[in-house]
Order: sequence, then structure tokens, then C-alpha cells
Amino acid sequence: MTTTTAVSLRGVTKRYADVQAVAGVDLTIRAGEVVALLGPNGAGKSTTIEMLLGLVKPDQGTVQVYGGTPTDAIAKGQVGVMLQSGGIIEDAKVGELLNLVAGLHNDPMPVEEALERAGIADLTKRTMKGLSGGQKQRVRFAMAIIPQPDLIVLDEPTTGMDVESRRDFWASMHAETARGRTVLFATHYLEEADAYADRVVLMRNGKIVADGTAAQIKASVSGRTIRATIPGADLAALASLPGVRNVETRGDVVLLQCADSDNTLRHLLGNTSAHDIEVTSADLEDAVLAIADQNKAQETLA
Amino acid sequence: MNRDYLIFDIRRTLRNRRVLIFSILMPLVLFLIFGLTIPQDANEAGISAIAYVMVSMAMFGSMSAAMSSGGVIAAERDGGWNRTLRLTPLKPQAYVVNKVILSLLLAVPPLIVVFLCGMIFGHVHLSATQWLTVALVSWLGALPFAAIGLVIGYIAKPDSVQPITGLSTMLIAAFGGLWLPVDQMPSIMKHIAQLTPAYWTGQTSRSALTESGVDTHALLVVIGWTVVLGLIGLRRFRADTARA
Repeated sequence: MTTTTAVSLRGVTKRYADVQAVAGVDLTIRAGEVVALLGPNGAGKSTTIEMLLGLVKPDQGTVQVYGGTPTDAIAKGQVGVMLQSGGIIEDAKVGELLNLVAGLHNDPMPVEEALERAGIADLTKRTMKGLSGGQKQRVRFAMAIIPQPDLIVLDEPTTGMDVESRRDFWASMHAETARGRTVLFATHYLEEADAYADRVVLMRNGKIVADGTAAQIKASVSGRTIRATIPGADLAALASLPGVRNVETRGDVVLLQCADSDNTLRHLLGNTSAHDIEVTSADLEDAVLAIADQNKAQETLA
Repeated sequence: MNRDYLIFDIRRTLRNRRVLIFSILMPLVLFLIFGLTIPQDANEAGISAIAYVMVSMAMFGSMSAAMSSGGVIAAERDGGWNRTLRLTPLKPQAYVVNKVILSLLLAVPPLIVVFLCGMIFGHVHLSATQWLTVALVSWLGALPFAAIGLVIGYIAKPDSVQPITGLSTMLIAAFGGLWLPVDQMPSIMKHIAQLTPAYWTGQTSRSALTESGVDTHALLVVIGWTVVLGLIGLRRFRADTARA
């Protein structure tokens, strides 16, 4: 199987009045990837998504979806979209709305199937305005998968959902990614990015500041921390090991911050009496905060 | 045109009682009050007065039904539905064509109801050709009002669209001489009437019943109104879809 490029953004910028919403974004998403676009409010996630969908024209740069314009990809039914809010007709019934959306696409899945996959088969006769926020999001999800798209784009899909709906939602979503669909979702929930994405793209002030697997992003910031009990440890020797950034002690317990924890471990096990060893990585939240701080520092310098 | 969208719109409109009451019951009641109280042998502008009122009221019904599609458009523009549509293969032009067809479909029931009442209770006797001509002309006479509905739909907010549509329907109908014949009013009223599209659609429909047949001058004015209002509607539509 060849890997095709689903989405390609090159040097994309967008300015609204005095706000530079997107300040030069390069992003390539390969077919089959599940990508989280992570960042605080105002980071430029929504604008990036709007440009990717052809809803907003970039000031500069190019946007390609499956090698063509976003509009072409949408006309071919290659893209399914779940918007954050709105985008539905409040006085329509769930079944009517989904029949309509199916009728607007060239090769839709049966409406019953979409209802089933979104877990809303029991809501068909209900009017949209009577639904809870979580139920509406499920209808939007059904609308996004009806075209049988290759790429699903979700803008903060779980906003306003309670914990249980959120878990159910991601279970439904997982079934779609298992079918090999490419997924791009914007979120400001770190745990969602961590749990559901193969790749996390971190945005801040309109720029991509980190891009990799959740594990890579965590490692890029603080590496891992080794915690071991080493009676009478030679701290100077430990500190001089390659990749060790910092050494702290608490009694016999030594905390080593390492860029390459595997090598440090080998040394500890081979050459010292270290025992009760634990290796922990910083969680994604620490990483994101650290990256944000680094950025702030750079901006201040510039 | 998109068939599923049309079905969706029809089902939704049929649930909206206000539209149904306004477009079917209003002309019917007005016909019962102003039409059936007229003596059988009375004449107006060369045709039976009852037939005159029947056609006017039918025209009023098809006009207000056609304009009500503006409410559908305004509601859909609100709340980001247009964004959703832009993320489907539906072409924007197909959307407009759909709404015009919806207008024309909504215009059918009031015509049928008023004509049937005229036939049964008003004892209006017309030849099959006359019925067909007057029905067709009254029906297509809804086109300029479908365009007005489009314009209102693109400028009004959902909460103001009902009163705007209701008020403009009544003003156009009253001043256009659909409720009371302008020939019976001071001449200034006739001059005002001629400024409205309703006067000319009414004139075209009623002329279908006279010996001389359809008034081509009036028909041309109706076509002119349709073109001009259609262009304004398209302009509003373009401005709306261009906005990101």
C-alpha cells in the first residue's frame, strides 16, 4: 500500500484585523494518521481548520487536500466535518436532518448505519432543539461520517460533553479510525490528544511549536526521570554521565533527569548498587507548559 | 435542484402552522367574506365580480405562500447551517433553485383551495381552457414573490422574518389591489397600485378571464418585476455566500 498525503499546508498565514491568527503553518498529514491539533484558545486551531476546509481563504500559502483544493475534496465527498457548534437546523428532526445530509452527498452510507455508529438510533424522531449538548454532538458526528469520507475533521468535538459521553464518543470515533480513516481533531484537552492521537501537533500564537507522537513531545521537553535508591552514590560521577541533566538526592534516593534514560539505566544496573528503580516520563501537560514557556522566552528575546 | 432537500423543506414547512394558516386560510376567509357576498350578476372590469375576487384572492394566497420561503432561508442562515452546506457537495446555485421551487410548490394549495371554493360555493363558471390559463398564470405569477422571499430571507434575521414577511405581504396585497379592486378607489390608489408587482400579477391573472385574453402589457411588467427582483435576490445570495 502506498502512503498518500491527505492534507498539506505550506506557509499558510491568516490575519484578522490586528490579530495574526495563523502565522506561517506547514503541516502534512498522511493517509491513515490520527492527528490531534492541540493548543489553548486563540492558538489558531480553528482558523487552521477553516482554511483546511476552504471556509476561509489564507492570506498566503497553499492548502491541498488529497492533492486538490479543499472545495474539490469536499465536492468529491472525501471530507467529513464535525463543527464545534451550530451547523444544524434546530426545528428539524434527527432522522430528517440525516436523510437530508445523506441526500446531499454522492455516495452516502445508509442513514440507519450512521445512526447506529453514532449511537443515536433511538433519537430519530426527536427534534434537534430538544436534545442535550452531548446528543447534538452525536448527531453532528453522524453527519460527519455519512459521506463515508477518507478524512474526518473535528473541531473540539467533545466540548460540552460530560465524562461519560466523552468516553462513548471516543469509542465511536475509535471504530472509525480502525476503518483506516484519516482523522484530524482540534482539542484543548491534553488527555484526549494523549489517548487518541498517533500524532500531536501543538499550536501556539498561530504557529506549530511541536509535532510528534505524544511520547516524543513529552521526551523532547524533559526526557525521563530515573528515581533509584543508591546508598553512598558518587553524585559527581552520576552527574557526568552522558545525557544526565540534573541530579538530586533525598537521603539515599537519587533523582536523575536524563535525556537518554536507557543508557543511564544500563550504567546504574551495571556499575552501582542502585535498586528500587522507577522510570517516569513527564506527562503531556508538563511538556506543553514547558514548550509554551520556551516559546514565551524566545519571543521575549526576539 | 436536490430532491432530498426539497422533501426536507416541504416536511418542515408543513409543520409550520403559521405559514399554512396565512397562505391558505387568509385568502379563503377573505374570499368567503368579500366574494360570496357579491350578487351573482355583478360585473367588474368585464368579468363576473365573484370570479374577479376569486382570482385576486387566489393570487394573494399564492403570493404570500411564495414569500414565506424567506422564513426558511433566514432560519437556515442563522446558526451556521450555511457553513454545513458549504461542507457538502451541494452547489450554492442548487440551493437557490431549490428555494424557488419550494416557493412554487407552496403556492399550489392556496390556488386549489380558493378556486375550488369559487367553483363550488361561488358558482363561477369557466371553460376548461380558462381554468387552466388562470391557474397557470396565477401560479407562475408567484415567481416575483418567490424572489422577494429570497431577498427577505437574505436580509432579515430569523426572529424578524415572520413580521417582515407578514407586513410586506399585506401591504403589497392591499395597495396592489388584490383585496379590493382599485377601480373602486380614488385614482391616486390606482397609481400607487401600479407601483406594486401585485397589481400586475392580479391584472394578468384576471385578464385571462376576459374575452380579449391575457393582458400582454401586464404580463410583460410581471416578467420585468421577476427579472429585477430575481437579480436583487441573486446579489444578496452572492454577498451572503462570499462571506467566509
